[in-house]
Amino acid sequence: MAGTEKKYYHAIQIVSDNCTGCTSCVKVCPTEAIRVRNGKAQIDPTRCVDCGNCVTICQFHAILPKSDSLDIINNFKYKVAILSSSYAGQFTEDIPYPTAKKALLDLGFDQVAEEAFVTEFIVSIIREYIRQNKHIRPILSSNCPSVVRLIQVKYPSLLPNILHQEAPMSILTRFLREKIQKDTGLEEQDIGIFLIVPCVAHVTAVHQPEGAYKHLQDGAFSIGMIYGKIRERLRKMNGDNSRIDTYEQGLTWALAGVEAEMVDCDDIRALSVNGTDNVLEILSKVEDHYLDQYDYIVLRSCTNGCVGGCLNVENPFVAMSRIKKLIKNAEHQDLDVSDLEKLYKDGQFAVAPLEPRSIMQLDQDIKQAIQKMKKLNEILVMLPGLNCSACGSPTCYALAEDIVSDKASIDDCVVLLKRHQKEED
Amino acid sequence: MAEFWNINPAYEKAAKAFLQEKPEAEVTLEFDIEVKDFVNAGKGSAEVKNVLKRLGVDPNVLRRIAVASYEAEINVAAHSNGGRMNSFVYDDMVYIRFEDKGPGISDIRQAMVPGWSTADDLVREMGFGAGLGLPNIQKNADLLHITSEYGESTILEIIIYYA
Repeated sequence: MAGTEKKYYHAIQIVSDNCTGCTSCVKVCPTEAIRVRNGKAQIDPTRCVDCGNCVTICQFHAILPKSDSLDIINNFKYKVAILSSSYAGQFTEDIPYPTAKKALLDLGFDQVAEEAFVTEFIVSIIREYIRQNKHIRPILSSNCPSVVRLIQVKYPSLLPNILHQEAPMSILTRFLREKIQKDTGLEEQDIGIFLIVPCVAHVTAVHQPEGAYKHLQDGAFSIGMIYGKIRERLRKMNGDNSRIDTYEQGLTWALAGVEAEMVDCDDIRALSVNGTDNVLEILSKVEDHYLDQYDYIVLRSCTNGCVGGCLNVENPFVAMSRIKKLIKNAEHQDLDVSDLEKLYKDGQFAVAPLEPRSIMQLDQDIKQAIQKMKKLNEILVMLPGLNCSACGSPTCYALAEDIVSDKASIDDCVVLLKRHQKEED
Repeated sequence: MAEFWNINPAYEKAAKAFLQEKPEAEVTLEFDIEVKDFVNAGKGSAEVKNVLKRLGVDPNVLRRIAVASYEAEINVAAHSNGGRMNSFVYDDMVYIRFEDKGPGISDIRQAMVPGWSTADDLVREMGFGAGLGLPNIQKNADLLHITSEYGESTILEIIIYYA
């Protein structure tokens, strides 16, 4: 098996020199992908879903987000930035959103596009998908790459429920690549399309997309990484009155609750869920058929949706409030989406069926798995049940699992060791 | 003593032989269900689901087991004076037994009719009591056996095969 296992890309790196082995990251990982062994955190690449919880919790700068270096845009003749909607919530209200968007051109991009531009179009294709797939309930949103991977890893029976259409920024990528080629006469490889993203999961999705039929983006830049440079540009741009189009009405995409409200209508009942623990609980209930009364469930791993991503600079609630204000004050625009519709009708936004990444099985053979489960239960009664993580595994159950999988030993339990020492004294 | 049987014909022989012999299970789980405890009801079936995922049981079969055991667990919490859930895991099937402390079902046939419910207001307020519990268990289990008498305890047994 070993040689044939798929290599997974992750936008998270551990800086071992900084790691104190504190186990904070071990406890917040929704797929129990992290262990502290020999005093240092390690991530199991088959389990990691790039939620970014470990990046947020680590106090020692030992788990760092990876994103591309801005220099790579120079490898292309024509450079496009696509802005995630949460970008708009990162600036204080004295900085107009159009100015914050213009500052990106100043960083060296030839064109800046917004995820927000396609929001209304996406809502219409989501509704159509829900109506065309009445035999599947509920349909689960596919925009959050971390949620998609979480389903692949922990809830593979729900893979058919995932909305099999590209996410907004990818739809926009396909549209722009075609349009720019037509308008400029440039070759596909001369056009670099990059995302400005709020979370590590989107960086991973750019480097290793799930279900993508064609080449999408050429890189992803963290909002946090470019933020300082943008602030610098903003100071210099003072008084720049040149016009730039913005699509404030579509910024709803950054907010999980608002996306559900937009899809919800007379014949479609939508539910919105955000935050890792809530997402886990809801997916388990969907598995039990307890939420079949919903037609569509919007699932976002981060608090409040993309505004909660770990690469943002602003607090998710403050960012949400600012974006809501921008939406409220937006003038309604009728956007021409006929070119997007053409691509959609042509099947250009479809994605391939998603494959499971099952991690839960103790053994491929059920008889072997049962023997391991028996052994696991025997070990479990010996362990103290404190779930203290001092052994480096998240819970006593996880340690027992690690022991039967030959990844740890019962001597790793610090509490048992101390008890034995006392007995010897 | 009133009794209700429903067996998937494909497994009739195997299921009946199993109930006669009741061989020792490889893995067992036990869970107490408290009266009207809707906060914790469901955790017993979640535990079973977690074990079966680790054994690699087919996801679709797993969902059937999850629904049947969750429904039965909620039934005990909603309608009885509390009880216990015992799960017995084998390499080809799971056998789950629910035994409560009364008050018993007065008319099992009636209870099997979709939409029929004796749920009180508290239970309905919690979003349960639609009268679909038992029919849902029947739909998802290969064997469903209920024995009950009014004023006595109810025993509900289910068997689901993995393949």
